[in-house]
Amino acid sequence: MKQHRSLSASRRGLIKWGLLGFGGLMIAALPKAVSAQSSGRTITFSADDVGILNFALLLEELEAAFYAAAVDSGQISDSMELEYVQVLGAQEAAHVTFLRSVLGDQVLFETADLSFNSSGLNAVLSDRSTILNTAVTLEDLGVHAYNGAGPSLTNPTFILAAGSIVSVEARHAGGVRALLGRSTTQPDSDRLVSDDDLVASLNPFKGQAYDELYTPGQVVAIVGSLGILNNPINGALVA
Amino acid sequence: MKIYFNSIFYPINQALRPVIVKITALGDRCDQQIKQMQRLGRTIALALPLAMLLLCAGPIAAAQAQEAVLTPRQVTEYALTLEKLEADFYRRAVTAAQSGGLSGVPQAAKDIIVSYGQDEAQHVADLSAVLPSLGGNPDMVVIPTNPNYAAILGRDPFANPADFLLVGQYVEDLGVAAYKGQVQNLLAAGEAGKTVLAAALEIHSVEARHAAGVRFLRQTLLGADVRPWISENARTKQNASSVEVIYNENRMGSPIPFSSDAFDGYATQSEVLALVGPILTEAPQTSQPRPQTPSNQGGSTENNAPRALW
Repeated sequence: MKQHRSLSASRRGLIKWGLLGFGGLMIAALPKAVSAQSSGRTITFSADDVGILNFALLLEELEAAFYAAAVDSGQISDSMELEYVQVLGAQEAAHVTFLRSVLGDQVLFETADLSFNSSGLNAVLSDRSTILNTAVTLEDLGVHAYNGAGPSLTNPTFILAAGSIVSVEARHAGGVRALLGRSTTQPDSDRLVSDDDLVASLNPFKGQAYDELYTPGQVVAIVGSLGILNNPINGALVA
Repeated sequence: MKIYFNSIFYPINQALRPVIVKITALGDRCDQQIKQMQRLGRTIALALPLAMLLLCAGPIAAAQAQEAVLTPRQVTEYALTLEKLEADFYRRAVTAAQSGGLSGVPQAAKDIIVSYGQDEAQHVADLSAVLPSLGGNPDMVVIPTNPNYAAILGRDPFANPADFLLVGQYVEDLGVAAYKGQVQNLLAAGEAGKTVLAAALEIHSVEARHAAGVRFLRQTLLGADVRPWISENARTKQNASSVEVIYNENRMGSPIPFSSDAFDGYATQSEVLALVGPILTEAPQTSQPRPQTPSNQGGSTENNAPRALW
């Protein structure tokens, strides 16, 4: 079991990775994000734990690249807002580092394989309000995506790790929503997937008091609607 | 001694009964729990050791090597207990506000508190509706008429916004950790646990949004040095007025780097109930400042703070 071997990687090792990795990741993601025009290679996710963790990695990469670009845009000038955006970006980068460590040689793509659409990215970086509201969308989406992945995971350490990350994503969502004066929880009017489209068996409860479970397919559709990522996505997980 | 426990701490005993059955090992583990308990601060340092003694001295304590796996029904009953407490906690805050107690707090912040209370009440209603299908009875999941919230800081948490929001942060962060601590149990239950797992996940991240919101209010309204996320190597050991989280957030020995601010820690049921046990006792029936008791005297000058700032 490769993922087990990788998982036993020492905490010290992970932290060292993180410290060494953050700067590199932020730098690596940024030029790609503003320069790539090609569609990038297709990423195919399998419907198992490895596919799910790789899918989570993709969302984390997207978030990390977004925050790096947001900082670089110069549009966030308020010191408190800038601190939030910087810390959130660093935390997403830590998630990237962690997931790459856990996946080891089962990682499906490198950061450099991702191709970000520069016009799409520029559109969401146009001003402070657009940046923060896009952050809310990405963070809300991350919460629903991790929640949706939970019941499909089979490895107990993976579901605990997902839980450890998803509540941080929810804190991000709450924090940025608060900066904007928006509700920290998600009103039904903000819902990214409508009641009718939610999978009933995954969602015993619905409404503002709950963060509903989205399927990977639903998440991919929302990512696509943002127009940021060029890489085609397919595979059994997102079918 | 036993009679003393049974009479004075009967409610704690009741609340911790499942824990006593499930608690793991003596020795190191109890030492660890006592250390955690000390992080709550000196003000409740008398109440908790007693709860801990109950835990550590449970007759079946040594029988199991690690924390037992809870069934989906047990997880639901446990979650419902916490949700009932949270809902009650916010209800009392709203009552305090209605009687003029929240006068120093902006209306927008009051609206947030009301909204979080509604969420918790919704969780109570929906978990209660699910429990019978698991063989349980929501009416058997009870909390005291007047939970002893003063046990958390050693003083009434509804007397001023600073205390209320600090306790709110403790409660919400602990709720997040408590739900996270059950995902492996629910996964282990297989198909039988899928519905409760989905429900727990749906609630878990909303509690984290609440925690973030309360923390944001503390940062922006009170100037507290706190952010929506739990800080790197969060303070858990100092006196109660400066502790960031009351459970063991920076758990070591896991491949998951819990001490990182990018990863939230979890708490087991026994850890949570050890923290909540003192609250699950009937509070003294007074509307005035309570007479000093041994359980809230340890904290020095904290008890001399003005009781009604708003």
